[in-house]
Amino acid sequence: MVQFKHAASAYKSLNGLICVYKPPCVPVKQVQHIIKTNLCRDLNALPVRPREQRIEIEGATNEPMIVKLVPNYADDPLVCGPRYIHEDIRCSWATHLGLFSSGVLLLGINEGTRLTYKINMGRPTRAFKVHGQLGKATDTYFWNGKTVERSTYHHITREKIDSVVAHIQASHQKTMFEMSGLHMESQTTYELAAQGLIRPASSKLPVIYGIKCVDFKPPNFTLEIQSVNEYEKYLWTLVHDIGVQLRSTAHCIGVNCIRQGKFDLELALLRKHWQLEYIADNMNQCSQLLEENEHLLQPESAVLTA
Amino acid sequence: MNSVRVILKNRISSVVSTRCYATTKKKIPDPDEEESLPIFQYPVSKSSDRRMYVWGLAETGALGIHIPRGKKGRKQYRRDFTHCWYPMRSTFAERFDIAEVAAGYGFTVAAIKTDGQHKVFGTGINTDSQIGYHAPRAGHPLELLLSPAPIYLPYKSLETKVIGLSAGRAHTAVLTDNEGVFTLGNNAYGQCGRKINSNEEYKGSMVSHNIKKLNKEKLVDVCCGQDHTLFLTEGGKVYSCGWGADGQTGLGTFENQAYPAPVQGDITSEKIVKVASTGDCVLALNDQGELFGWGNSEYGQVPMKNPSQQVNMSYALLELTKGLGKITDIAAGGSFCLIVNEAGDAFVWGYGLLGLGPNVQTCPKPKQIPPALFGRNEFNPNCSVKKVACGIGHLAAITNNGDLYMWGRNRQGCLGLGHLKDQYFPLKVAIGAHVLKVSCSVDHSVAVCKPFV
Repeated sequence: MVQFKHAASAYKSLNGLICVYKPPCVPVKQVQHIIKTNLCRDLNALPVRPREQRIEIEGATNEPMIVKLVPNYADDPLVCGPRYIHEDIRCSWATHLGLFSSGVLLLGINEGTRLTYKINMGRPTRAFKVHGQLGKATDTYFWNGKTVERSTYHHITREKIDSVVAHIQASHQKTMFEMSGLHMESQTTYELAAQGLIRPASSKLPVIYGIKCVDFKPPNFTLEIQSVNEYEKYLWTLVHDIGVQLRSTAHCIGVNCIRQGKFDLELALLRKHWQLEYIADNMNQCSQLLEENEHLLQPESAVLTA
Repeated sequence: MNSVRVILKNRISSVVSTRCYATTKKKIPDPDEEESLPIFQYPVSKSSDRRMYVWGLAETGALGIHIPRGKKGRKQYRRDFTHCWYPMRSTFAERFDIAEVAAGYGFTVAAIKTDGQHKVFGTGINTDSQIGYHAPRAGHPLELLLSPAPIYLPYKSLETKVIGLSAGRAHTAVLTDNEGVFTLGNNAYGQCGRKINSNEEYKGSMVSHNIKKLNKEKLVDVCCGQDHTLFLTEGGKVYSCGWGADGQTGLGTFENQAYPAPVQGDITSEKIVKVASTGDCVLALNDQGELFGWGNSEYGQVPMKNPSQQVNMSYALLELTKGLGKITDIAAGGSFCLIVNEAGDAFVWGYGLLGLGPNVQTCPKPKQIPPALFGRNEFNPNCSVKKVACGIGHLAAITNNGDLYMWGRNRQGCLGLGHLKDQYFPLKVAIGAHVLKVSCSVDHSVAVCKPFV
């Protein structure tokens, strides 16, 4: 754990990427806000810059004048406010996580905002645990929507879910080639395809690389999805579509991001640890991880690496 | 004036009540309303249900699909439906229980599970009566059928089941469980296994030939090449008849063979379990997983020590398949061969669009198609190829998950990828079911599938 003696040195070291665990039903904006607030609070609690002195020159001008250093009350925290405020800290997310999703969220602090941009352009895969429930369809595809249809689900077995899900995965492979921006009849495409998975060129359409049913206890089931460019609503619709393909109905009851690139849940800071020391510690871990995996920031080819 | 004021008042009050808030108010669904909804039960398929998907050239009628014109036109069906770009579910298979299906050159035959007379149906080109005699007007037999029609075959007993089908350029072979093989269609080279009559008229012919047993052995499989037919007996012996100019009959000669005769060479002492042929090259697989080949070798499909383009006797291809392990499935196309080993890896050799990228045109030795192209990656490490099939210029592979991958020459859209461009590496075909078997011919393909749910 890093121990800071001065706020100024702490502030200077706050340049980099952090990995936090976003709770569900808290928007990313609020996560940023909480982190900024906590950082300001912790920085201001440290010994901050002392009050500036003001030079006062007194006396008559035809005599030797007295030069005095007096406290400058305009620079007092009680007058001008705390030393560190929200505007001093920049914070940006790498990839957005929806309101109802929880899990790994990468945030860039100050100079780290450039890193988030680079990571986003590198399009690392994200792994999700998507929880669904059979037997009910809602208008939003999520549990909080209005129920529009109910159906039976006793005919669904693990094997059937597996086959439907495997089919979805294989179909997305074709999308992968279409999205890669490569010419289908070129040797380059073939060489890339032969190596395995290709990252999409566009950031618009979601591509699923892996989808697997990891848990099935009717009516609940859990899917593990590895994908790029996905968004919350897309994962909900995916659950709905699987429900339809299984000749039943389904809605999503939870989305949890368990990995983004090489950043996994182990690394993610819980809400209670969103404090200066933990954040600085996490920043060090993240920068170490980035050093080890340079391809996360500067991918050399379209082949999917993480 | 009074009444107007009342209306205005109402309007104001209604506006207030449906006010839009800047933030969306969370709607909490009413549990009672949910309880009042009916519970649907959607129909679920039986485990024996099969679907048939067809794609490629529809002009010949080989797909057996019409697109209804709508109510406006006088004619019931559109005539400009020439290509089926994507796999389409055949309505024929919804009405009958499909047992077997085979795609020939511009025609398709399908066998159904029934105890009735009509066990085999055919659609498409019928210039040589390869799908039977169909004459709505007496004396004017149809040369083209746009929808499946039953083929008349003289079964002894109606309990007989059709267990195999195969179709060549212009002939069809129907394998039954108790009554042997029925052949019909063109016999100009003896491919129907009966005497060649040079004056025979094949158009509008009602002839079908029955081969009950060969050398007192029951027949278990039949395979039609372009103009030859191969019969597999219970004891694992291969018999052949038909065109032999490239040695595809494997009888040691280059003559046409009218009556099925045992194939000569290395396979005489082996128990063969599968034979494969689409064009003029033949591959055979024995129970040990070893490969044999004969026939056309212009592109090195059956490499010999002395470079010959026609191999008229079967040879063991042990040298060729060294180090590939036990082979589980084989397919021979027009100018290439495709095999699968026990590990689920696909190997290809020969000439053409082999699936090894646009730069590789020929490949003298079996070369593995990168398994990543069949969906084996870090997220799905168990994906393997189980079955393969070849058309004249295109190839197909089915994985253990029931996904169909196709590549090669995209003649008339026979790859089902939605365009006419050639495909240089395996790409998944959009079929929404578990593919069990695929049959490729020259310009169309047929797949038998099992629904997921």
